[in-house]
Amino acid sequence: MSKLYRVLPFLLFLTVVIIWEAAARSGLWSKLLFPSVASIAYEFGRFLVTPESLHEAWVSLYRALAGFALAAVVGIFVGMLMGRSKLVAGLLDPLFSGTYAVPKLALFPVFIFVFGIGSGSKVALVFLECLYPIVIMSYHGARGVDLVLLWSAQNMGASRAEILRRVVIPATAPYIFAGFRVAVPVAMIVVVITEMVSSADGLGYLVIYSLSSLRTDRMLAVVVAIALLGYLLDKAVVLARDRLIYWEKLDTYYV
Amino acid sequence: MGLARAGFFLSLLLLWQLLSLRGLPAYVLSPLEIIRDFGAALGSAELYEHAGASLARSLPGFALGTFFGALLGLAAGTARWFDRAFSPAVFASYPVPKIVMLPMFMLWFGIGDLSKVLIIALACFYPVFINAYYGVKATPAILVWSALNMGAGRGAIVGRVVLPSAAPMIFAGMRVSLALSFIVMFAAEMINAGSGLGHLIREAENSLRFDLMYVSLLAVAILGYAGDRLVRFAQRRLLAWQEQPA
Repeated sequence: MSKLYRVLPFLLFLTVVIIWEAAARSGLWSKLLFPSVASIAYEFGRFLVTPESLHEAWVSLYRALAGFALAAVVGIFVGMLMGRSKLVAGLLDPLFSGTYAVPKLALFPVFIFVFGIGSGSKVALVFLECLYPIVIMSYHGARGVDLVLLWSAQNMGASRAEILRRVVIPATAPYIFAGFRVAVPVAMIVVVITEMVSSADGLGYLVIYSLSSLRTDRMLAVVVAIALLGYLLDKAVVLARDRLIYWEKLDTYYV
Repeated sequence: MGLARAGFFLSLLLLWQLLSLRGLPAYVLSPLEIIRDFGAALGSAELYEHAGASLARSLPGFALGTFFGALLGLAAGTARWFDRAFSPAVFASYPVPKIVMLPMFMLWFGIGDLSKVLIIALACFYPVFINAYYGVKATPAILVWSALNMGAGRGAIVGRVVLPSAAPMIFAGMRVSLALSFIVMFAAEMINAGSGLGHLIREAENSLRFDLMYVSLLAVAILGYAGDRLVRFAQRRLLAWQEQPA
């Protein structure tokens, strides 16, 4: 029974592939609507060996990582400051929770004018969207540091810097990584969207370009590449978390 | 605290307004100008038409996505075979930006509203599914055992124990989904639409109508904020018996 459970997800995947291939071969729909699995796989292989398409992937990755890294640095700082200072929390918390549900994407046209049509506006938007989960989770973590631990450290004569380094940061780190876990897919979403809306390079642009040239097999190959990239980035965060944070596991997808 | 907070925001706005006196680039309007333009737009029918078109896409998508997300998430949390078969696919595809499927959806379901509603539903499905799933998993075993002891059937346990226990998590997922629904709606309209706030902002951008750009920006912000408040209000009313998360 347990063996059956292990193969079930692959069975599901296989069923979807078979249904897709059957739809492609049935001739009921145009090849444009359901390109055969073989042609998508071929295009994906071509994608992997073409330097130009790898360059587009690198452009998207660079934008996502640059925005994410900026958001991580600023977000951890601001979030922990909010967590340790009532005044900062009182001033900034309404700002972040009030604008949390507002789609920051709406600022993209303004950002294009401010930061230019190239990578600048996209990195800025990735930064802004990733900032929220990271700030909120670091705030949450830094606020909830066990008071007993803080008192003990103070009693034993730890300085403020030592308390920060040895108590507050280790206690907040699991939450920071939970925020990262939310922010990484967001970074990918924003990069792809902005590249689809207005760009001349990147994977999102490649999707729109392949569609405009009516090569849906090529487009789906790019979709597969984007999916793979998003999946690997998430895995990288999990890997880094498991290596760095061995004292507490916080398996949260949600904010 | 409230006073300090209000003072902080007012001084931010004041600083912005003062900067505009010194001359800002044409694409940065001052707060007063934005309010004036927004007030003027409220008096015309155009803004309502576009906002209505946007809501007609995002709300059905949100409803569809959260309904199936909650349903399948509860199913995956309670039925082991369904969990093993279905959940890995959901978790593996969670970090993938769902918007990339929009062109394919447009080919399958046409370039009208249906493809946009479905892509919004797809994006909204994930947070609710995952939260419902973990919500079910976090149900205290002792409650389930007590119910079993008192002779409750499977249906009663799911309906009276598991669902109420998972409900706060489901609502948390709905809040994330709602924010996502506005992002995806806006993106889909910016990529391809003849109406809606995303379309309006693109038009404004292309014709350098900065006033219109900020009007649609503010309209989206207000809709997103109001929707979030509504979900929180619904949560407080429906789950009044539960401790509210801080």
